[in-house]
Amino acid sequence: MNRLWTFCAIVKRYLIEFKRYPFNTLSGLATLYIVFLLIFLGARYVQSAGVSLFGESLEGLVVGYMMWTFALAAFSDLSWALMREAQLGTLEQLYMCPYGFRFVSLAWIVGSFLTGLIFVGVLLGLMMLTTGHLLHLPLGSLLPLLLLTVAAVYGVGFAMAGLALVFKRIQSFFQILQFVFVALVALPAEPWWAKALPLSLGTRLIARVMIEGRSLGELPGSDLLILVANGLVYLGLGLAAFTFCERAARRRGLLAHY
Amino acid sequence: MSAVVVEKLVKHYPTRSGPVVAVDGVSFQVEPGEIVGLLGANGAGKTTTIKCILGLILPTSGRVEVLGVPSHRPQVAQHVAAVLEGARNVYWRLSVEENLAFFAGLQGLSPRRARTRIDKLIALFGLEEKRKTVANLLSQGMKQKLAVACALVKDTEVVLLDEPTLGLDVETSHELRRLIRQLAQEEGRTVLLSSHDMGVVEETCQRVVILAQGKVVTDDRVDRLLKLFRTRAWSIQVAGGISQDTVNRLREVFPLIKLHSFDHGATLEVELAPGQDFYELLDLLREEGVELEGISRAEPDLEEVFLKIVRGEGR
Repeated sequence: MNRLWTFCAIVKRYLIEFKRYPFNTLSGLATLYIVFLLIFLGARYVQSAGVSLFGESLEGLVVGYMMWTFALAAFSDLSWALMREAQLGTLEQLYMCPYGFRFVSLAWIVGSFLTGLIFVGVLLGLMMLTTGHLLHLPLGSLLPLLLLTVAAVYGVGFAMAGLALVFKRIQSFFQILQFVFVALVALPAEPWWAKALPLSLGTRLIARVMIEGRSLGELPGSDLLILVANGLVYLGLGLAAFTFCERAARRRGLLAHY
Repeated sequence: MSAVVVEKLVKHYPTRSGPVVAVDGVSFQVEPGEIVGLLGANGAGKTTTIKCILGLILPTSGRVEVLGVPSHRPQVAQHVAAVLEGARNVYWRLSVEENLAFFAGLQGLSPRRARTRIDKLIALFGLEEKRKTVANLLSQGMKQKLAVACALVKDTEVVLLDEPTLGLDVETSHELRRLIRQLAQEEGRTVLLSSHDMGVVEETCQRVVILAQGKVVTDDRVDRLLKLFRTRAWSIQVAGGISQDTVNRLREVFPLIKLHSFDHGATLEVELAPGQDFYELLDLLREEGVELEGISRAEPDLEEVFLKIVRGEGR
């Protein structure tokens, strides 16, 4: 029961801060929407000239952009939050949670996932209105797929957060990873090696649900199994990397540094 | 069972030019309900020791426990809360009440239990009018009080306060001293306090552990330390002045002697070394022909005692 109160307190704080700074949230949303508009207008212009972009329809672009946005928030949230907490001087207080910092960060991720859903939901609505293409939104199929897909990205996020604990300034890594995620979202998921990467397979499966109107049960079972394994392996590796870095930071007395 | 046990604590920080020794075999214990001051100059090892107790830094070797729980385990946080670096411990975007509710929740307190503690602490710290105000808009003193309240809301048996009065005005500092004493007396909490503000330590702590260069140089009761230095420190008023040659001869026997000369006289401040007798000093002054005008016992405060100890002039 006590863990539940801790969990609720962390998620609640996350949501309060999300709600309390609407300008920050809205400006982020506006920026992403403007970037989408530019891509959309550019894609329409190029497609009118007979060139196929992303090898898919505009719906594919919407789903890909949505997943990219979600992935960006998922992998960077924890690292940014860690750096911000270190600057504020509250990181050490979070480390003094009786259930350990990993529990705190897992609760954090739930907060991040919930706010990510709201954020991406609004962005998706705007994108559908702009393109005039309505996509299927069966939440029962979409939410598990989203969760499994971003689990791998959260794994990357944990590894990055570990690096942030030790090295503090890792913003340049973020910039590189933004482009890596574009590639992962755009990759075809058919080759086996693409299925082993984070994000690619999940994005394809989500696209099939949203564009083709398939349900979770209609997707290939082997792909779903690979997606589960993919999510668990990346999350596990990310947590292991985080634990390793965290130990190094505690040994070197770096938790409070920023 | 002791509230805090630190035994042969050693901490080396790895650097490119080799390990730096921050703490070198520190041992002390804090008993339940005690208020103990952890003192030392910058770099003496206070913060490293405190963070090792909290499990935020892993020791190189040694044993650190809080109420029997090894500090490297997260469960140690069930028994200990801390204010580190003063007001840099609260969320500036959350209100006073939200901050307290968050830290109570982080500790696993149920909303009902948290509510009772929050109301009590808000009243105790005089924060009623600021209950809904975001921390960012509070004065420095209020932020500091909120930081201490956030540590106390966790309801732990042991509280570690690292520089709790840093940047506070005199009035708020005195208020905080009263609150710290109240904590130990009324709630039976164990407090380990680290501060450069000797007034706070002298007024609140029963015992001090003094660190110098990563080692414990003194672990004693505050009243005993003051008494010890009071019985050894004398102030002697001399009529008509005193020559430098005489002072130099006195220094050969009593090295810790200071001369303050005035227009019509001088004052000698003498610190007797252990084993030296005050009457020896009087005999020597008579032999030197020094005319005495008055003798009084110097009343050292904890700051003077601390300086003498860390400079190796006492004990």
